[in-house]
Amino acid sequence: MNSGVWEEVGCAKLWNEWCRTTDTVHLSPTDAFCVFYHLKSNPSVLLCQCSCYVAEDQQYQWLDKVFGSCPRKNMQVTVLTCRHVTDYKTAESTSSLHSPFLKALKTENFKEPPCCSLLEQPNIVHDLPAAVLSYCQVWKIPAILYLCYTDVMKLDLITVGAFKPVLSSRSLKGLVKNIPQSTEILKKLMTTNEIQSNIYT
Amino acid sequence: MFVPCGDSVPDLAGFTFLMPAVSVGNVGQLAIDLIISTLNMCKIGYFYTDCLVPMVGNNPYATAEENSTELSINAEVYSLPSKKLVALQLRSIFIKYKSKPFCEKLLSWVKSSNCAKVIVLSSSHSYHRNDLQLRSTPFRYLLTPFLQKTVQNKIKSLNWEEMEKSPCIPEVDDSEFCIRIPGGGITKTLYDEGCSKEIPMVVLLKFVSEGDNIPDALGLVEYLNEWLQIIKPCLQCDDPTASALQWKMPSSWRLLFGSGLPPALF
Repeated sequence: MNSGVWEEVGCAKLWNEWCRTTDTVHLSPTDAFCVFYHLKSNPSVLLCQCSCYVAEDQQYQWLDKVFGSCPRKNMQVTVLTCRHVTDYKTAESTSSLHSPFLKALKTENFKEPPCCSLLEQPNIVHDLPAAVLSYCQVWKIPAILYLCYTDVMKLDLITVGAFKPVLSSRSLKGLVKNIPQSTEILKKLMTTNEIQSNIYT
Repeated sequence: MFVPCGDSVPDLAGFTFLMPAVSVGNVGQLAIDLIISTLNMCKIGYFYTDCLVPMVGNNPYATAEENSTELSINAEVYSLPSKKLVALQLRSIFIKYKSKPFCEKLLSWVKSSNCAKVIVLSSSHSYHRNDLQLRSTPFRYLLTPFLQKTVQNKIKSLNWEEMEKSPCIPEVDDSEFCIRIPGGGITKTLYDEGCSKEIPMVVLLKFVSEGDNIPDALGLVEYLNEWLQIIKPCLQCDDPTASALQWKMPSSWRLLFGSGLPPALF
């Protein structure tokens, strides 16, 4: 989002037990929003920032509201998400894995080569990313999910950095400028977050 | 709703519809996995619904690199036209209050597809058995009244045990008796819905406990196979201790009990 001019075009407000507020009427953006932006220079490019948890009994309605109004033809979807590395099943011990690492899942109609290896069986994905991918698979929409397995519980530079290969993918590289400087840009974005979350000063 | 993989809706008239109930030990689902994997059934569509928790993963029946990258979702339909079999696999749990609507929508679709009969593979808590059940075979069956006479007679000739009725309210002495399937998930709802929609349905279940339920799934498919004969016994096996029937476990059954252990543990 740092690379272009994005304009907010809508939001999906929802409340569930995971939200950090009990006031269901006056929801603030950080509590219970999924905000939608479009790129001013190319309004057919939409971005959704989901900063809340969409519960399992809300996912279908969320999809219906969001995708129901989008034309399915010529649409392509990319989902970025994270999971803790202990969720990843492998014959080796998870302590021997070099996290963070990226895995992908794509629908049948997604023809581009993914930026990383595909998620092997018996691993599966739940929650909103799974709901989005299921919708796209059933309705034959090209979609790809990039899943970063990380061993930290809060956002850090290394975990976000794991997504860098995705920025060079055919679908996204037109949206990102200054890829070699992305580490510096990320550091600036991250530092602001860390200062805010430090409770020990 | 059913959404086909291809452009046209497949004709399921006269097919036998197999499905699992999400029940104790996931035995029904494991059994359906064995059937789809062994018979190499083809995916023909999705049962897209808001009643099940969403999940996705790569092809659980992959046998090679080439077929390992097909995406699978939580409810998919497979078929084997040569044996007129169609199987629904459910891979996640029901969302609260949605199990009855699911049963209604599913059986409406099955009825409108003119399937010959529905077979539900399920399980029930073994600790709920009474003394007689403890001493008998762990397999039970239930039939709706709308099955063809030939099918009813065939099942009766196998000398199977029908699921017994038990007190509706166990604590009350003069309680009425009814069919109860504790731990059976949607089994009872499907059975009741099958009766009210006049669907020819057979429920096959095994009394199980949670744990490594692969042997229970193998038992349940062999029980089904006594009747349907979907695979023939292997008469030329070299290993005399191996099961006479060659059921193929899918590749997704790896790591059922978690990842590898850290060497430092030992």
